[in-house]
Amino acid sequence: MRWIRPLSADLDEGADALGAKAHGLVALHRLGLPVPPAFVVTTEACRRFLSEGRPPDGLREELAGAVRGLEAATGRRFGGEHAPLAVSVRSGAGVSMPGMMSTVLDLGLTSRATAALAAETGDARFALESRLRLLTGFAAALPGVPADAAAPGDADGNPGVGDTDRLRAAIAAAEERIERRHGRPFPDDAAEQLETAVEAVFSSWDAPRARTYRELNGIPHDLGTAVVVQAMVFGNRDGRSGTGVAFSRDPGTGENAPSGDVLFARQGEDVVSGREPSLPLHELRSREPSVADALGGALARAEGHFRDACYVEFTFESGGLWLLQARPGRFTGAAGVRVAVDLAEAGVITREEALLRVPPQGIRNVRAPRITAGAQADVVGRGVGACPGVAVGRLATTSEAAVRMAADGPVVLVRPETSPDDVRGLAAAAGIATARGGAASHAAVVARSMGRPAAVGIAGLEVDAAAATVRAGGRTLAEGDVVAVDGAGGELVLGDPATTTDTADAHLRTLLAWADDVSDGPPADDEEPRLRAAQAAVRRSRG
Amino acid sequence: MTPPPPAPDAAPGPDADADHGLAVLHTLRCGGHADTGRVAEAVGLTAPEAESALIDLAVDGLVTRHPAPFPGWGLTDAGRAAHAERTARRLEESGARDAVAAAFERFLELNPELLDLCTAWQLKPVDGTPAVNDHSDPDYDARVLDRFADLHRRAAPVYSELAAALPRFDRYRVRLTDALDRARAGATEYVADHTASFHTVWAELHEDLLATLGIPR
Repeated sequence: MRWIRPLSADLDEGADALGAKAHGLVALHRLGLPVPPAFVVTTEACRRFLSEGRPPDGLREELAGAVRGLEAATGRRFGGEHAPLAVSVRSGAGVSMPGMMSTVLDLGLTSRATAALAAETGDARFALESRLRLLTGFAAALPGVPADAAAPGDADGNPGVGDTDRLRAAIAAAEERIERRHGRPFPDDAAEQLETAVEAVFSSWDAPRARTYRELNGIPHDLGTAVVVQAMVFGNRDGRSGTGVAFSRDPGTGENAPSGDVLFARQGEDVVSGREPSLPLHELRSREPSVADALGGALARAEGHFRDACYVEFTFESGGLWLLQARPGRFTGAAGVRVAVDLAEAGVITREEALLRVPPQGIRNVRAPRITAGAQADVVGRGVGACPGVAVGRLATTSEAAVRMAADGPVVLVRPETSPDDVRGLAAAAGIATARGGAASHAAVVARSMGRPAAVGIAGLEVDAAAATVRAGGRTLAEGDVVAVDGAGGELVLGDPATTTDTADAHLRTLLAWADDVSDGPPADDEEPRLRAAQAAVRRSRG
Repeated sequence: MTPPPPAPDAAPGPDADADHGLAVLHTLRCGGHADTGRVAEAVGLTAPEAESALIDLAVDGLVTRHPAPFPGWGLTDAGRAAHAERTARRLEESGARDAVAAAFERFLELNPELLDLCTAWQLKPVDGTPAVNDHSDPDYDARVLDRFADLHRRAAPVYSELAAALPRFDRYRVRLTDALDRARAGATEYVADHTASFHTVWAELHEDLLATLGIPR
């Protein structure tokens, strides 16, 4: 085939052609790990699409042929009226690029295939929920439609709580949204759905937001993206199914213990998006020990392959584990230092490699205060660290309260999200926590400009400003309760926890001692130049 | 400076005063607490005009002056309610709802990019990981500012659609242009670290559109 490659251990092409994601899946195949059957549409097909404004000749036929391969591998029929096959479509970049369509799940669930899936499983709710996910996923990923704007359909048919009538209503609403925004109805033919989604991913390469991102990051505009098409596994299949993300080591500290999040009876992006409250990874061991064992083995094998801490996305369906993505963990700060030193001491990498892995300018952040591991029991919620540092203060649920209370001592402002209305409260607060939003949200931008420790996007955090309470992690906190924010780990913690600036102190001293061993001159005073000198020496010696 | 739009309003006093009142309520609603100077700047009034409007509103119980340590004017609950009611009425009377709603959809397409740019201004990717931008790399900063200018250019049709629908929206174009000009002239606090920064004014515009259309956050 000219434009498409089935993914297997034997596929021997680089990430340039296949995209980083498919390249990573090939590595998982080679490690013998369970990966759902998949094929990739190459970046060359994307470039042709973008230059000619239409799919290249033959792509359509190749898609049909590659789908037949997935059908053979799974024993299911794409858009079929018995045992229907559904697929996911993902853009090929290893790191998602803002503005690009990244993921559409459950393609192939036409109305007839959805009915067939319901009949096959005896579970109409599951089948309808999967079709709704297809439609909301496609709508949310359309260029120009922010994910948040897709919420109405989502809220009406919140998977897991919606009965079938509500799901049907939400499906109708999502179909209408797509027709309005996309200019034509979403096709009810499986092959057309797939072609539409592949073309949408290709087109999104040129979305203005993606172009801006490439300009800022010095990424050429003419690379194009590959598209991975993969047989779906259903994390929302039943109570023994679910989805999650896992790090082989703790991304906050670098400690050699798997860490991550899991959601039972949920699908795909629910964990990654943070839209739903997830459980800590150790819950997987208590509920599905065999899945936890398999995951532990997979993480160890992936670590051996990457020779680094690693990150995986996984789904389990009725007790069987599948891996959807794996990449190096790319830890920063204290965790990055610790992993580099631990791996060198274990003989996995050389000391020189360890020195090269730690970015010198990040070394200052290694000493930003962190809440100690001992305080982890009091963690109320976890989100994204938006501005490093630890702030302790009394909880305020509105900006008015924050300003009032700040007269008597430090305040931590906890909001669903923030707007300019909150700027006075943000200025008055010592630390900030929000339930929604990511590293680019209003709260994160303002927190960084003011140098306030902040944790944003804390899943499961409910702020009830009328009652002046906050609920999270099964606890209810009242305005005035003392809480702490760790803006590196993204944690909201009850009480005034012990903090430390030397979580990685021993490891950092070890690393710097190695640095002084390899650099020529006498050791510099500052840590950053010491590391820079060592890296220069290593690079010189390697020619 | 754009003159306030001549439009009927139920509040007592001449039309111009009532319009000042609504514009001031609007500024406090969308921009949060502010001192007299900032209100004047945002609405496009002289400081005495703004102060006079603020005092009238305070007499009506719609705004209140906060004491130290964070002094400034803010809406009361009654002011919030009056603002929502008057804004909704003004929107229906003007017949501009559909035009504003359509412009808002286009604004929402641009908004994530603005937040990306603010992040890029504050955090610079180094070896693939974001680090605090210490602004020691003029090439990088210039690249980010170029992207701000590009976004501002692409947002121009949205600004004009909004100003055509409701003339007071034209102030945002003026203020955003001013912030960008200052930032490009070297006053980089006008990117995201000033009460009149591009980010702050943009966020006010966002809040204004939500408030005008009566969309809860």
